[in-house]
Amino acid sequence: MLQPFFQWMGGLSFSQFFLTTVWPTPIIQCIHLIAVSVFAGALLIVDLRLLGRGLTSSSIPKLAGAAQPWLVWSFVVLVLSGMPQMMSTALKEYYSPFFWWKMEMVGLGLIVTFVVRKVIASKEEGHFGPVWPKVVGITSISLWTSVTIGARLIGLLS
Amino acid sequence: MIRTLFEFVDAFPSSVAWRESLNGYVYLLTAHVVSMGLVAGVISYWDMRLAGMALKWIPVSKVQSGLFPWLFAGTAVNAGTGIMLVYSQPMRYYPNFWFWLKMGLLVVVAANAAYFHLSIEKTVDQWDSDPVAPLKARVAGYVSLAFWAGVIVTGRMTAYSGLVPQWWIDLGLSN
Repeated sequence: MLQPFFQWMGGLSFSQFFLTTVWPTPIIQCIHLIAVSVFAGALLIVDLRLLGRGLTSSSIPKLAGAAQPWLVWSFVVLVLSGMPQMMSTALKEYYSPFFWWKMEMVGLGLIVTFVVRKVIASKEEGHFGPVWPKVVGITSISLWTSVTIGARLIGLLS
Repeated sequence: MIRTLFEFVDAFPSSVAWRESLNGYVYLLTAHVVSMGLVAGVISYWDMRLAGMALKWIPVSKVQSGLFPWLFAGTAVNAGTGIMLVYSQPMRYYPNFWFWLKMGLLVVVAANAAYFHLSIEKTVDQWDSDPVAPLKARVAGYVSLAFWAGVIVTGRMTAYSGLVPQWWIDLGLSN
């Protein structure tokens, strides 16, 4: 159903520019990886804290509040730098099972991180009991690790 | 001499086995990228605390004790998979400009960390809880942030072994 859309996307002059010129793709990939690192840091310090590890000298809400702008803005950069890469190889992405795996994990990750975890991390330790914060923390780490694995496998196995 | 070493490793049966393995490279590179997220993510917060950009309300020593076990665990996996990637294809990396630039940046990062540990950190008791660390500590944080970004960029660029300065090509390392 989406195949014509991906074909159209791949044929845009914007997509062709990234496909046929030398430097824009590696530059945008480097920006994407820097954003991955910032996103991973902002994600991990809160997830580890939910697991009772890492920066335990800080309260969870204060840590989550401080990490949130880094998390949001690095995700914006991830989307903006990911789009040209996806568009320039649109049909390759469409036929890659790892691309769809990545997108599904991104969707779930966004729900867990920006909805479920936001609620859990807004309250002081103990408010939701000892188990739920840990479940959310480990789920968040697992989902975003899956996104990274899926992303890497698009390039390696598709 | 370095070329001889790389060629020597290239001929190891285990190096050949990794190189010819169907999925060995895929597993190694995927583990390398995932552990890079852990290392770069954690170290960026340590550096930002030193630079006065984040976590200012947490004492520096607490940031260190909270994050460094994860940093060391991530570094062990990251360095291990990185060494294995080179071990499995030494003659692919030997002529690669970006690979050597990355190694150079890693040396700077390590020297900066050693300088911080052996000099600036000795006085941490005096400024542990200060929201903004002394100038030397902030500089160490900014230097680490910049050079780690360089490590990530050059790491990605190793895939683009053809996009290199002409003087590097003129060295004829791949011959």
